[in-house]
Amino acid sequence: MTTPLLETHNLVKDYAIGGETVHAVNNVSLSISRGEFVAIMGASGSGKSTFMNMIGCLDIPTSGTLLLDGIDTKSLDSDALAEIRNRKIGFVFQQFNLLARTSALDNVAVPLIYAGIGYAERRARAQDKLEAMGLANRLQNTPAKLSGGQQQRVAIARALVTDPLMLLADEPTGALDTQTSLDIMGIFQKLNDDGITVVLVTHEPDIAEYAARRIVFRDGQVIEDAAVKSRRRASVA
Amino acid sequence: MKDLLASLAGWGVNVAIALTALRTNLMRSILTTLGVMIGVFSVILAVAVGNGAQVSVSQQIATLGSNMAIVVPQPDSGSGPPRSTDRGRLTERDGDAILREVSGVSAVAPQIRSSVQIVTPGRSATTQATGATPAYGAVSNVTASEGRFLSQSDVGSAARVAVIGETVANKLFPDTSPVGETIRINRVPFTVIGLLESKGSNLGNDNDDQIVVPITTLRQRLLTTATQGPDDVTLIFVGFEDEDSLLTGQKEIERLLRDRYRVAKGKINPFTVRTTTEIAETTGEVTQIFQAVLVAIASISLLVGGIGIMNIMLVSVTERTREIGLRMALGAKRSDIRNQFLVEAAVLCVIGGAIGLSLAILAASIFERLAEFPAPIGLDTAIMAVAFSAIIGLVFGGYPAIRASRLSPIEALRSE
Repeated sequence: MTTPLLETHNLVKDYAIGGETVHAVNNVSLSISRGEFVAIMGASGSGKSTFMNMIGCLDIPTSGTLLLDGIDTKSLDSDALAEIRNRKIGFVFQQFNLLARTSALDNVAVPLIYAGIGYAERRARAQDKLEAMGLANRLQNTPAKLSGGQQQRVAIARALVTDPLMLLADEPTGALDTQTSLDIMGIFQKLNDDGITVVLVTHEPDIAEYAARRIVFRDGQVIEDAAVKSRRRASVA
Repeated sequence: MKDLLASLAGWGVNVAIALTALRTNLMRSILTTLGVMIGVFSVILAVAVGNGAQVSVSQQIATLGSNMAIVVPQPDSGSGPPRSTDRGRLTERDGDAILREVSGVSAVAPQIRSSVQIVTPGRSATTQATGATPAYGAVSNVTASEGRFLSQSDVGSAARVAVIGETVANKLFPDTSPVGETIRINRVPFTVIGLLESKGSNLGNDNDDQIVVPITTLRQRLLTTATQGPDDVTLIFVGFEDEDSLLTGQKEIERLLRDRYRVAKGKINPFTVRTTTEIAETTGEVTQIFQAVLVAIASISLLVGGIGIMNIMLVSVTERTREIGLRMALGAKRSDIRNQFLVEAAVLCVIGGAIGLSLAILAASIFERLAEFPAPIGLDTAIMAVAFSAIIGLVFGGYPAIRASRLSPIEALRSE
């Protein structure tokens, strides 16, 4: 049996708010295997985003264990965590988070700078990923000259450029209209079919139906973890 | 080698990021750079002016003549101001005694100095007259560039002849050569026998604004106030063969004069013996202090420029917190973020430093031309300027950069 891509044991994240301790994530133990497509759902304040930040190595758990690709993240310093984010995880955000006044090509190449890749290879790899996203003729456009859907596709290309094991998408369709959301979900499904693990945080039930497995958070705990019964397929535009 | 190339490439990326960020806020970047620019400009210029003052002072001392002692009839009060009440005497006979009894003396030049009025038909000038002997020329490197200098017979016969400086000559004879012309000094007619070789001016002191006449003539015909004795002098230049004999000679002169004036033990000398070496040292110290004060004042503007850098970098870090969070999410290490902001500060400083240095070089050359005051900017000064701006970048950019690098990725991403 292969090790799961992600494993958590009694993961806890506490916040001190006004002298009171709030358990944002409370004793969550679960595992995600390679190649899964998981939707993490829950209302705002349910702890789903905090959970995602921890598995993305952006936030540090208060207690509990987090194994990523078999590595216990507790023992890692900030540089090692930065390397994991760089090599193993690709982030997609609700607000795209592209650098303004920077071309699509340069935006996609940013993670490769921190991977220590040379200029020519950075450009070549970034161009490959953008072409795979259907943006071959938008390489030099700055975000201001791209539509929301195009911007999110640039962001997905950026998430994929270091060939990570897992895509972490936080409300990736939250800022997009219905049709564009469908396109983006189609891209995720295709990438998942090609083998990459996708973890998606959303509060929209229909978006979650494009995933294969649904984990629902409430008050910092998992209240439901099951396969999606009637999974939807989106065709890639 | 490969590592080195990779790290250079990494810095290159940082420079590119910095330039993009600085272009984004072009006006702000220019204003920030302006602060460093003015700071570097004023420090460099202060150093240059200070160097110029030192050059000027050493030139001035060189015009006095080297290996020379100057004896004046003023009580030696050490470092304090001379007390004019117990003003001593100094005579030509003292000079003769020094030449006779002090070892290593090559020449003695007793002088009387007096301010005089010179008149030619239609023109006039006020200048300083030095009553001297031919030895004056040898001791203090004074020669005639045209005509001749004083001779022994001029002194012996108290001839009414004068050797005049270039400034005086230009005032009285703007179009013709003064040699052979007649001038009236304090209404007494004199013949100009020579033109003093120009020594230029230092620190606003014109060395060519003087005339030299025989000491006998000056005493008999030009002095307006009576002296205490028939051979009193204003000062004596004592030329020595070399620096060693100058050092021992200074003490010997003091001992000799104490003897001659019967100065009781424990009483201060009624005269002062200074050597050109001492004068060079004291004035050297003074100009160094002058330079230090100038540089200190200029450094304040550099400090203000640096604070400007820090201010803008802090603003920049705050404004770009989200970008910092994003870069961290994409794999930037703390050192990557720190270097990015350090490079941004350094780029601002180096641009400011380069412009400041160029402007200082320009200003120094204008200054040199207009004020005839040397303000040399050497390679060392230029290197100092670059090092200064880099240090400012590191010091004042360091804190904001480290602050940026310490941000928690998730806090930074969530900002705004």
